[in-house]
Amino acid sequence: MVTPDSNCANCPAHNSANLVKLGIDMSNFDYVVALAGNPNTGKSTVFNALTGLKQHTGNWPGKTVGRAEGAFQYSDKRYKIVDLPGTYSLLSTSTDEEIARDFILFGQPDVTIIVVDASRLERNLNLALQVLEITDRAVLCLNLIDEAKRHHISVDDRLLSKSLGIPVVPTAARQNVGIQDLLKNIHEVATGKYICKPYRMKSEIKNVSHAVEDLNKELEVRFPNLANTRWIALRLLEGDQRVIDAVRSGEIGSLTPVETENE
Amino acid sequence: MIDPIYALIIFFAVLIVVLVLFFPGKGIITRWKKIKSQTSRVLIEDALKHLYDCEFKNLDCSLNSLTGNLTLRADQTASVISNLESMGLVTSTGNKISLTSEGRSYALRVVRIHRLWERYLADNTSVSETEWHTIAEEREHETTDEDANRLAARLGNPLVDPHGDPIPNADGEILVKQGITLNNLEEGKYARIIHIEDEPKEVYAQLTAQGLYPGMQIYVLQSSKGKIRFEADGEECVLAPVLASNLTVVPFTEKESVQESFENLSSLETDGAATIIGISNAMRGQQRRRMLDFGIVPGTVVHTRLRSLKGDPAAYEVRGALIALRKNQSDLIHIKKIKEN
Amino acid sequence: MNNVEEIIQKANKYRWDIGENLHDSILESIYTDAARIADKAVTREGGKQKFDWDRWIDKLVTGRWTGFPIMFLLLVIVFWLTISGANVPSAMIASLLVDTVHPLLKDGANFLHFPWWLSGVLIDGAYLALAWVISVMLPPMAIFFPMFTLLEDFGYLPRVAFNMDNLYRRVGAHGKQALTMSMGFGCNAAGVIAARIIDSPRERIIAIITNNFSLCNGRWPTQILIATIFIGGAVPSFLAGVTSAAAVMIVAVLGVVFSLVVSWALSRSVLKGEASAFSLELPPYRPPRFLQTLYTSLIDRTLMVLWRAVVFAAPAGVAIWLVSNVTIANVSLAEYFIKWTDPYAMIIGLNGVIILAYIIAIPANEIVIPTVLMLTVLTTKVAGFGAGAGVMFEMDSVSDTAALLHTGGWSVLTGINLMLFSLLHNPCSTTIYTIYKETKSMKWTLISTFLPIAMGIVICFLVAQFWRLFA
Repeated sequence: MVTPDSNCANCPAHNSANLVKLGIDMSNFDYVVALAGNPNTGKSTVFNALTGLKQHTGNWPGKTVGRAEGAFQYSDKRYKIVDLPGTYSLLSTSTDEEIARDFILFGQPDVTIIVVDASRLERNLNLALQVLEITDRAVLCLNLIDEAKRHHISVDDRLLSKSLGIPVVPTAARQNVGIQDLLKNIHEVATGKYICKPYRMKSEIKNVSHAVEDLNKELEVRFPNLANTRWIALRLLEGDQRVIDAVRSGEIGSLTPVETENE
Repeated sequence: MIDPIYALIIFFAVLIVVLVLFFPGKGIITRWKKIKSQTSRVLIEDALKHLYDCEFKNLDCSLNSLTGNLTLRADQTASVISNLESMGLVTSTGNKISLTSEGRSYALRVVRIHRLWERYLADNTSVSETEWHTIAEEREHETTDEDANRLAARLGNPLVDPHGDPIPNADGEILVKQGITLNNLEEGKYARIIHIEDEPKEVYAQLTAQGLYPGMQIYVLQSSKGKIRFEADGEECVLAPVLASNLTVVPFTEKESVQESFENLSSLETDGAATIIGISNAMRGQQRRRMLDFGIVPGTVVHTRLRSLKGDPAAYEVRGALIALRKNQSDLIHIKKIKEN
Repeated sequence: MNNVEEIIQKANKYRWDIGENLHDSILESIYTDAARIADKAVTREGGKQKFDWDRWIDKLVTGRWTGFPIMFLLLVIVFWLTISGANVPSAMIASLLVDTVHPLLKDGANFLHFPWWLSGVLIDGAYLALAWVISVMLPPMAIFFPMFTLLEDFGYLPRVAFNMDNLYRRVGAHGKQALTMSMGFGCNAAGVIAARIIDSPRERIIAIITNNFSLCNGRWPTQILIATIFIGGAVPSFLAGVTSAAAVMIVAVLGVVFSLVVSWALSRSVLKGEASAFSLELPPYRPPRFLQTLYTSLIDRTLMVLWRAVVFAAPAGVAIWLVSNVTIANVSLAEYFIKWTDPYAMIIGLNGVIILAYIIAIPANEIVIPTVLMLTVLTTKVAGFGAGAGVMFEMDSVSDTAALLHTGGWSVLTGINLMLFSLLHNPCSTTIYTIYKETKSMKWTLISTFLPIAMGIVICFLVAQFWRLFA
């Protein structure tokens, strides 16, 4: 499915109303960027590298609590960056995961940076794939690339980028390696220069394919603009109350910015 | 200055009084609360629940069984029944008492709240399984419908309680799963436990003491009048048929594959490798989700890497990360060892 | 027309058929995809595996014979560096702020013709309390926290949790509580914040409530001084040093024992209603970055904690000055209060001065001893000590302090009970505030505040009675 607003290069793509609801002050900013990742992947280091030490998170090392915010500028655009709590997943019921999930799904940041540990890619992709289920615009930050090298692990970032359908940037945030490249890619995704074709789950889930397909069809008819109805169907089948409420109130349908399509 | 002897005597006297009053579960205050809580509403709800239970099991419900269940005198029960009749919740013909449709939906509401609480206690608290029922029994009478809906939402709208009983939804619809009781399962057959009856308490305690819970795979080794010998997730158990009748099982269909290995992750020697087969259903709620998030899913290869001084916890390499698990967790993770040559 | 409600209804119907294990299946399929994608992109250099440092260090620091000695050694080194390294700067800051700046400020106030009460409230009260808190608190924290952060950055601390978990599991807590506890030896407020690393709700609250049983750096000086005077003074002089050091250690160990016992009791009573989900990841070792660590631990931990303490200490200084200077019929409020509480305090082997000191010094344990000394002078009317009502002071000579306290009617029992009470009383207001911020719950804040104080009163009472019976 193609993102409707992906070719709108100049308009601020963010969904201000939703972000304000989530407590983000968007005045003076062009784009908002969310930072997601597993614990222990150096997510806060990436945050600090992007924003500079002056705005360092002020969090307890090893644990970001709640949301930290910062800002940076790249090629005359002003970005607000929101550091989400480090989580292993977006599907469970802990408060942290709910904060992260709700921010990405309902806040619709212009770009979501997914920080992964290059030496533990397979395990970190769990979160990355879940993020890609709920947003169309993301950049994978392949962090700790130096450590991976030390352990004789090399990651083909181009191939990975092709598989995931989003930019993949190898970084070593502790040494400030790759940060410029990361900024460039964030900018390209935010401005619509890079059009993501995010990977969506393919493996069949035991016993449910029929139910998912059926619901999927109905949801597509009801919410034609929704990017990923299959995921919504799965959430309904899991009894996720926040998503059920959003479907019921129509909030889900308003998520994809339709207005840019009409312009 | 007060004499130390007197001071100590006064102190211990006060201590004893406080203990007698407030001792958790047995103190005077708790008992007094329990007696006070036997209001007419509680009696009505408990009576309806019992009647529904009889109906569900296709048993006839009499004044006697109700008296026993509510721990009341017969005349008190009779007044509860007449009360229910005047409210149009039950009808009685002769010795048989049955629910009207309003009575049934009221009963289902109470059952829903009860089972939601049990599920909550199992998933989101560290209350031990023998206490779930008792606590839910108290809370079911204090919970409003909105609270119940909120509770259900928070739990992700669960379908069954931790004993395997279906939870009615907010509209009072309930799923009935067909199964047979364990004493009716033939020798040499495989089945899965779908329900463990949690009343009476003493029987339930005996079943949980054997480590039985819904989701276990059963294989009957020997079924006779005197005893039933079977394997539950690979562990051999023996039950009297009376006890076995409290377990509901569903025999395996042709398609279902029998799980052969029931080795636990805790038994994997240091530096040994194994493939995960599954996580036992006894691991619930947040704990289970955390395991899945770590990548402990069927098919994952794990290695034991470190053991702490007493062997508990031990650290396992799972998909590139080193995760420490306690023995009571690794006991619930089924594996198949990989022979390395 | 396809209706939203119908879709939801349909989903609910399907849910009955699918059953409860959907979540498991979803994760299984995500991981299948993840493995496929990762397999394509990742190559591990084959051939001979080079020496694996991580595994080697892990075997060493969690080993049967090496794990605990290494842990103990590191703990001793950290404490030794903190104590010995903090002494000199502490004394320097104290001599600067208390002995030099304070008289200067007083002179300045006189020169500007401040009314006596204004210079009293501001300079003798608020300023002096601040000066005390900063000089006692800042140097040890500035040394302790960076060292702790370095060990954390390196990846060693989760291994400590791994080693200690067996003990903590038995009392219903998490191995990481060993870390928050050690952090508490530096500062309880910092220890409470550190409990964030525990992500299981029940275990986290246990760690927060019991952190106060770690003797924090504001209480060590009290322990050492009182032990030297009353325990050291009660034995032959050649044993004095060893005995008083042992007494302080016993109190600290007692704190650890209490924290375990209370953890056990809490996990089986009020905290049964909280979820418990153990998880502990052992991250790979990483070379620590000294400069960043120094910077962030200074900003995040030291200055933040110090700032909170300062905010609470200044009003306490004002309160201390006021109670000892506001008089009714020529008798200060402090004296009224002390006279009134003395008989009750005696029952638990303390005295009115200690009770009042602990009430007005809630903001910071550091000012308990200066307040006690000042109040003792105030009530006993001895001449030659201190600088007047409401002006906190400390004495350079331990024997002078001892003499003053003996004049105040202190016995060995008072000393022992003060040590116990210093361990078992409410957390300082900075910590209480932090507990509230971290738990967002009045209930846990109140329990953390009143549980230790109740324990302190009961234990002091029992010690006092048995002491009087047998001694």
